[in-house]
Amino acid sequence: MLSLLIWIPILGAIAIALLPQSRARLGGLVISGAVFALSLVVLSQFDLTNAGFQFREYFAWIETLGLNYELAVDGLSLVLLVLNSLLTFIAILTTKPDIERPRLFYGLILLVSGGVAGAFLAQNLLLFFLFYELELVPFYLLISIWGGAKRSYAATKFLMFTAISGVFVLASFLGLIWLTHSSTFAYESLLGQTLPLALQVVLLGMLLVGFGIKIPLVPFHTWLPDTYVEASTPVAILLGGVLAKLGTYGIFRFGLGLFPEAWAKLAPWLAIWAAISIMYGAMAAIAQKDIKRMVAYSSIGHMGYILLGGASLTALGVVGAVSQMVAHGLILALLFYLVGVIEAKVGNRELDVLNGLMNPIRGLPSISSLLVLGGMASAGIPGLAGFISEFLIFQGSYAVFPVQTLLAVVGTGLTAVYFVILLNRTCFGKLDNATAYYPRVTWSDKVPALILTALIIFLGIQPSWLVRWSESTTTAMVAAVPILSPSTPIVEVLGVEGLGVEPGVNRPG
Amino acid sequence: MPPKLYLQPSTSLSTSLSPMTTTLPQPTNTAPSSTRPASVAAEKLPPSTHEFAEIIHRLEAGGAMLPDTSENLMQIIGLYKAYAVPMDFYWRDLLYIAEQVFLNPLPFFKYFIPQEYLDLQNHYAGDDADLRIWRGTGSAHPELLEFMEKGELNAKLPRLLHHWYHDRVNMEFAEECMRAMLWHGRDMGMGLFDAYLDSDEYKQNADRVIKAYFKGNPAMMSLYKLFPEMFLEQCRQMSYYSNLGLFWEIMAPVFFEMSDLYDEGKIASVPDAMDFLVNGIFAISGRPIYHHVYIDGECYELISKSKGFMWLYEAALPYIEAVFYRTAPFRGTKSYNAQAGQVPSEQKDFHYGVLYADKFPVGTAGIPPTLLAQDMLHFLPPYLLEYYKHHCRGEDDMLVQLAVSFQRSMYCVTSAVIQALRTALLYPLDDPNPDHLLANRKFFEAQLDRFKRPEARLRNIQTADYR
Repeated sequence: MLSLLIWIPILGAIAIALLPQSRARLGGLVISGAVFALSLVVLSQFDLTNAGFQFREYFAWIETLGLNYELAVDGLSLVLLVLNSLLTFIAILTTKPDIERPRLFYGLILLVSGGVAGAFLAQNLLLFFLFYELELVPFYLLISIWGGAKRSYAATKFLMFTAISGVFVLASFLGLIWLTHSSTFAYESLLGQTLPLALQVVLLGMLLVGFGIKIPLVPFHTWLPDTYVEASTPVAILLGGVLAKLGTYGIFRFGLGLFPEAWAKLAPWLAIWAAISIMYGAMAAIAQKDIKRMVAYSSIGHMGYILLGGASLTALGVVGAVSQMVAHGLILALLFYLVGVIEAKVGNRELDVLNGLMNPIRGLPSISSLLVLGGMASAGIPGLAGFISEFLIFQGSYAVFPVQTLLAVVGTGLTAVYFVILLNRTCFGKLDNATAYYPRVTWSDKVPALILTALIIFLGIQPSWLVRWSESTTTAMVAAVPILSPSTPIVEVLGVEGLGVEPGVNRPG
Repeated sequence: MPPKLYLQPSTSLSTSLSPMTTTLPQPTNTAPSSTRPASVAAEKLPPSTHEFAEIIHRLEAGGAMLPDTSENLMQIIGLYKAYAVPMDFYWRDLLYIAEQVFLNPLPFFKYFIPQEYLDLQNHYAGDDADLRIWRGTGSAHPELLEFMEKGELNAKLPRLLHHWYHDRVNMEFAEECMRAMLWHGRDMGMGLFDAYLDSDEYKQNADRVIKAYFKGNPAMMSLYKLFPEMFLEQCRQMSYYSNLGLFWEIMAPVFFEMSDLYDEGKIASVPDAMDFLVNGIFAISGRPIYHHVYIDGECYELISKSKGFMWLYEAALPYIEAVFYRTAPFRGTKSYNAQAGQVPSEQKDFHYGVLYADKFPVGTAGIPPTLLAQDMLHFLPPYLLEYYKHHCRGEDDMLVQLAVSFQRSMYCVTSAVIQALRTALLYPLDDPNPDHLLANRKFFEAQLDRFKRPEARLRNIQTADYR
């Protein structure tokens, strides 16, 4: 069944190429809708009490390389799998029907979807890497062909950064294999590796850089504003909602999963990194004049919460981080979509130009209302999905990292600040009657936003539906982390234990 | 500081327009647009250097501030018709309130106009008209009666239910106009009517009427003794109810007739429409403005017809100044912040009238542009409905579209008033004397100076893009 989630979109992308141009959108919707429905089936059949991998699939592929087709899903990947299929459907739904080269566009979107699903499901490091890299080219093309005025620059920057990200990830994987003398890239066989702590730290560091670029975390974020801003709305939804989650998933799955000791050692630094990312993202967002760029920077801040939750190594913190991945995916998708609608109707994204969009007759009152809700959700207002995940993260991390957590709480306040700035200037005030002849917002414009809004509200008032899927898995992940002496500084770890390799320490999982 | 509604640049309105010293000439420019004389001023005077030179040249050629286009004509005539129907209700109810409700301390049913006032014959319409301006009926307009019966709901329900559902003609708008006249009346210094409200004669009349009205009501009589000025002020307000009611009694048939003439193809241009208004203004300028109160079937003359207050000077011009130019900064569509200095300290500097008004509703309250726009929406002619459907957001923002059309139509009315004043006090447009033409030009320039303010919509209405 899991293979279907990968291959239906990939084969669908090929099928769409054979359809007439006018049917490409419908084809995309049907295929992505089917994948989403299938992911819901997986969701419904998922055993909540089982913390391990389920729905396993295995086909021997290139065994001499240790590369096999191994798929499985656990609580960590399940929610992201569903998020991926949902946002792919939403992205296609939000695409303008008259988009140029529709077959290629929808085909690439489906290719991304299949690649991301493959990455979430892969139980082989090399297989993960293949899927991880598979979405690179489609995203590059989606940005460079259908992007904004500076799309070439943004796409190239994206390609360079994410390619470097891949290099670090691959280097870490290969390093792990070589150092442990493992004959396979199978994830579970590498779980019990007993590399020296110093080596673990180095390998984890490479993963953190690799996935940190993908997420992105400060200071590896510089590609994000350009890419998010230049990407068209559906692509921005996928970039923020799905691609960034590939990075956080990678950090949790491989960083925390494969190097728990190193993770525990680095946790205070990760928490500091998270706090810096949160504060930087929020402050940079406050300084923006372009609302899409503001939302893009908000994403950097919100990714910091996920890292903070993971760094806390508490059950609450980690489950909150996974919940934040989902909540952030939904909220960011909503915000990018609404910004896209505003840009399409008003023809502008500048804070200094936009005004009075809440105007009930000539403005965009429904879109503005949803933007207010999206801003509230992003700022962590109770009753919405963002609050639950952030609250869990803070609850989990405060006892371990009180200062970093308090900084993150301040970051939440700053999120409210920039969203108040955005909403106050964009939605309220006086609509300029010299320019306000905007096209009306149709129902088809509202539907994607309403779907996302309904989910954000539902998960906000029924949070168990957000955390129940990953709770067992995340609890087990935290339990697997050995308790280290917090007094040993990381430099000492590196200095004392050196980088020596102890052969034969690989312990099969 | 913007000038007042100057008639001549150096002469204030109050002195220039004194009916005691001015003999009204008949309009000189009654020719249809096809035979309109070419602008003599253009031949004998150098071009104006005024910011609105093009509009001034148009006025000198007998045109209006509103460009002469078929689209503009359709909008303004359609709006006159849509305005005239609720106006037919306004004037009847204003007179009902002034004459019958009067000082009722609990006037819950003042908007429930009795049949007597619906049957009241307009003095300028119908078979019994003193001067028949409109060929239609003298009693309430059929469309108005139908709306009053069924409302927007299109269902016959008790009138109280329609009222509570706000499915009715919004008299609040009419009262707001009345209050603007009352409030600015003190400051404008126009005519004699407002000054008369402070006279001993008026106070004596008011005292007599108040005592008659509250006869047998010791509670109200005691209050009157305690607060006589408050009751007197209420009487003044009632007199302005009557004033505005009598003003609109004329304007309703004027607008109905213009609509009919347009339908018949007899008004074919914006100047035609303006000329009809100018002629109408002169034809009925002498109509008396008075205030009668009916108590137990007996008529009390608070302001008698014999005082000689004339429609043009005591109602029309104060109305234009107070409602078109000034009004108040809190009209429901946009509230200005006095603490932030957005409201001038001097009333004469107010500029919130329809000629300046921002027709866009503000913020999230969902307030329609004005209650008047809501009223007019019910009576739009089919051609205008069709027109609005094809522009902007069609039916969704029709209230704004018609409010902008209303603004255009009021610029046409203001043009008619400016031309009428020029006719009354200055010189014909085809006067051969260049000095006279120069005086006309200075008059026009002084009038248009009032639209130099950035919020004035005169610039906007010059193009069809302003919707």
